[in-house]
Amino acid sequence: MANTDTKPGTMNPVGKSVQRLDVMEKVTGAAHYTDDIPFGNALLYGRVKRSTVAHGLIKRIDVSKAKALPGVKVVVTGEDFPNLIGLYLKDKTVFARDRVRFVGEAIAAVAATSEEIAEKAIDLIEVDIEPLPAVFDAEFGASKDAPLIHPDLANYECPNFIFPVPGTNISNHFKIRKGNTEEAFKKCAVIMEKKFRVPHVQHVPIEPHIAVAQVEPDGDVTVWAASQSPFSQRSSFAKALGVSESKIRVIAGYVGGGFGCKAGVTMENVAVALASKSGGRPVKVRLTREEEFFTNFVRQGLIINLKIGCDAQGNVLAMENNQWWDGGASTEYGVNITRAGGYNSSGPFDIPNITTNAMCVYTNHPIGGAYRGFGMSELHAGIIQVMDMLAEKIGMDKVEFLKRNAIQGGDFNVTGMKMHPVGLQECIDKVAKELNFSVKEKASSPTKRRGKGIGIVWKAPSMPPNAGSSAEVRLNEDGSVTVSVGGQEIGQGTFTVMAQIAAEALGVAYEMVKIEGPVDTRYSPYEWQTVASRLTWSMGNAVRRAAEDARKNILEMVAEAWGENPANLDIKNGYVVSMKSEESISLKNIVVYGIPRPGDQGWIGGPVLGRGTFMPSYVTNLDKDTGQGARAVVHYTTGCQGIDIEIDTETGKIEIIKAVSVFDVGKAINPDLVKAQIEGGFIQGMSSAIFEEMKLVNGVMKNPSFVDYRIATTADLPRENIAMFVETAQDDGPWGARGIGEHPMTPTIGVLANAIYDAVGVRVSNPPLSAEKIYLAMLEAGVVS
Amino acid sequence: MTSAHPGLPEFDYVKPAGLKEASQFLAQHAPEARPFSGGTDTFVRMRDGFFNPKYLVDVKGLEGTRVLKIDEKEGLTIGAAIPMNRVVAFAEASRYPLLVEAAKSVASYQLRSRATIIGNICNASPAGDTIGACLAYQGVLNIHGVDGPKTLPLNGFFTGPGKNLLKPGDIVLSITLPVPPKGHAGRYIKLGRNRLSDLSIVGISAMGVKDSSTKSGYKFHLAIASVAPVPFIPAKAEEILANNALNTETIILAAQAAMDAVTPIDDVRGSAQYRKFMVRNLVNRAVTEIMQKLSA
Repeated sequence: MANTDTKPGTMNPVGKSVQRLDVMEKVTGAAHYTDDIPFGNALLYGRVKRSTVAHGLIKRIDVSKAKALPGVKVVVTGEDFPNLIGLYLKDKTVFARDRVRFVGEAIAAVAATSEEIAEKAIDLIEVDIEPLPAVFDAEFGASKDAPLIHPDLANYECPNFIFPVPGTNISNHFKIRKGNTEEAFKKCAVIMEKKFRVPHVQHVPIEPHIAVAQVEPDGDVTVWAASQSPFSQRSSFAKALGVSESKIRVIAGYVGGGFGCKAGVTMENVAVALASKSGGRPVKVRLTREEEFFTNFVRQGLIINLKIGCDAQGNVLAMENNQWWDGGASTEYGVNITRAGGYNSSGPFDIPNITTNAMCVYTNHPIGGAYRGFGMSELHAGIIQVMDMLAEKIGMDKVEFLKRNAIQGGDFNVTGMKMHPVGLQECIDKVAKELNFSVKEKASSPTKRRGKGIGIVWKAPSMPPNAGSSAEVRLNEDGSVTVSVGGQEIGQGTFTVMAQIAAEALGVAYEMVKIEGPVDTRYSPYEWQTVASRLTWSMGNAVRRAAEDARKNILEMVAEAWGENPANLDIKNGYVVSMKSEESISLKNIVVYGIPRPGDQGWIGGPVLGRGTFMPSYVTNLDKDTGQGARAVVHYTTGCQGIDIEIDTETGKIEIIKAVSVFDVGKAINPDLVKAQIEGGFIQGMSSAIFEEMKLVNGVMKNPSFVDYRIATTADLPRENIAMFVETAQDDGPWGARGIGEHPMTPTIGVLANAIYDAVGVRVSNPPLSAEKIYLAMLEAGVVS
Repeated sequence: MTSAHPGLPEFDYVKPAGLKEASQFLAQHAPEARPFSGGTDTFVRMRDGFFNPKYLVDVKGLEGTRVLKIDEKEGLTIGAAIPMNRVVAFAEASRYPLLVEAAKSVASYQLRSRATIIGNICNASPAGDTIGACLAYQGVLNIHGVDGPKTLPLNGFFTGPGKNLLKPGDIVLSITLPVPPKGHAGRYIKLGRNRLSDLSIVGISAMGVKDSSTKSGYKFHLAIASVAPVPFIPAKAEEILANNALNTETIILAAQAAMDAVTPIDDVRGSAQYRKFMVRNLVNRAVTEIMQKLSA
């Protein structure tokens, strides 16, 4: 096969660690982000007037002084945008109208010719708020004694899988009633019960939120945003403005870190609202780092009470799981995180009897949003520790206990869904081996204590049952391939993986494929959102189908030209080859111009365009009262993590000697990227486990900057951070792949807490597992004096 | 914090031509005028709304602020415009190992390219990492005021959080650290929440030297950050180390005395209780390590 005119490239790239597509432009700083886009002198700058009161009635808003300030072009308030919006439960407006519900909530906004003037105008807006009793604790918020934050809850529009309880602050009450928990506890040899509190944390992407909006001459609205979900945002903007989706266009380039906070809509609505009244001038709104901390979606806090029992042989028989999620002032993803907390409430364990009450509770805290893991770090923080306590109590080896109870293919899980094959046993074995888990090792000095912890997790993509993906594959004259998708490159490497999938499915070298960007809802094919660790699987299926469609078109064209059966043709390294006649022809030119018929008697084929879509069709709803159903989710990714630490008994400081994480990814399309996700996930998990906490006092965040909201730096990394994977193929994943984006951070709180206990014999269970907390716990327990 | 300003408030930048003019301007416009050098604290606090000066007076170009020299008799003089990274890189500064170690612990490398030791001192933050070393080395501030040059010993300079003895018009030009005792050893232990670029929960500056005039045969200077309204010198602990045979028990006693003397508060970085225990444990660690160095 003559291919001397083709650049050498990576053939069959699936399973190979090819270099990222975006690496050069990002490393050199050439990559463009939203704030880099020039808009010229017409650009206006928006700033937001925010509530300083956690809960109160708005008595008066006077914007007259702000409007009179030279340079101010637009002032908007809640009166201008009365529509109720929300991703699931429609319970909020763009600006607070009669009531404020958290410190930082938008009340009004200004667009002016400079950011400074806009800021001055904000100071000139007068707001009188009559404070109301507030709710700062989710468990209290769910009680009858709590003041109501949303008296109109009964009237809110809501999808059929979210269950608000009108007359309370409970925005979703998800129940599991499986087996007979009460009877099962009677049969248990050991029961452990413990309550955990997981604090609010922030996503802290390096790029704060930014959006620019402009009304086009035809009335359509264009929004440029750092976004994980351009299509969902389009839908939300349309609802906020009361127009149809086709009137909105969202253009979303590279994202400087999302971790969930740039999914859904927060401040982007402000830019749209201002632009709708700016006479066609573009309006840019960008958050300060402080606003990024306390006005944005947060990883909502969780109070969870777990009661788990097992028999004398170590078989877990029953679990009672009560969760109070601090959904905040209104809900976006929060109600669905709560749902995930419910349908995942067993953790990756085979437990025949489960009672779960997962409640999302309105509080006067910032609004809970999606955060890498979607509730699973918080849920597993408790489960991993209670399972550790159980194993210890019955005197069973911890690894053996996990293996005995870990969920397996064929088990009917917490929601009654039959589990697909999972490689969790193998994950546990690999961690135990790599960490020498059964060996108690010596500390490096008399003032240090050494310990190891282990735990297992699972997570399914949390999304509506019908979250869809689509892709287009176009071929160019030179035989190169352009892939259009609506999913976003947020640093996770999805463009690279999509290029690998397209190249493999089509039969060209990886280097011949480009992913079209930025995502533009006017031109890009639909993608639900870049969340839920779903792109490799869902968008990957769409890209594969699109590439296969293109391939089919090409083979049919060549088959017709050669008078052969397409089944005898193949595409290899950019050439169509016949296994029968051994003829070959380059894709170049024919994929655009077609192939001439013999004797100039016309042409065959033409521009090659492949289309592919994917949407799971098999996810069923769950019974409102029992949480049982045929298939709650598309699949579960499972894994195991182990950590070996030392604790300095003079300070309480943790040093992580070695961390080992092993996940069943189905198929590693790009092994290096998978490992990087696992390593990075561990670091983020470690950071949130040891350092991170939004210190909310009466609704006010006391540490809204990097000075006092600490995140791990490179100096805090473990000495060894080992990432491995196993591959138990997913039946409907591309080449068997399933998601791995979020999972690696979800075990870390619980596993670290287990390691601390192993090291010093004291359970420090609530993150952040800070040096101070560990030291004072050791002091109280008499480990130090 | 509910107001988050996107930028700095408006101010006038003033670059005085000479010392006299600078002192006069600052005195005439007190308290609306504020001197600054690296700006690493000033700008942050202005953005946060804690400082709201009408005039920012840049002292970096003034005579005497760019000095960085060693004198065999007078010791080390560090000008107000000398960033910490330059002090660390100055070969002769290694004669003051405690200062170098403390300076390296401040914030991040990038910030230390702007941050200055004089700035650290003038801010008078109880958490200032380099202040303890300057106290231990008996530093003296060289100041230009409306009445001309004067000096002030650093010991006693701090009067409260963010407060010091400087009067309107006073510009600290430099600090002189006298020739340190021969064969001394130092140790700065900074306890942050994580390893890099944090503020101190506590910071222990310790300097020890063999000294025949004391009963123990050693003399120790200690200073502790973030445990009192001002950088704190635990005098009783120093006395215990001077007056008793230096063994494990004595060090424990001294560490306990330091713990008993400090008056920390609860704040977002740590509780008073934790800080007190950390003073005890880390004074013990610092003194023990210095003793190991001195007997090596």
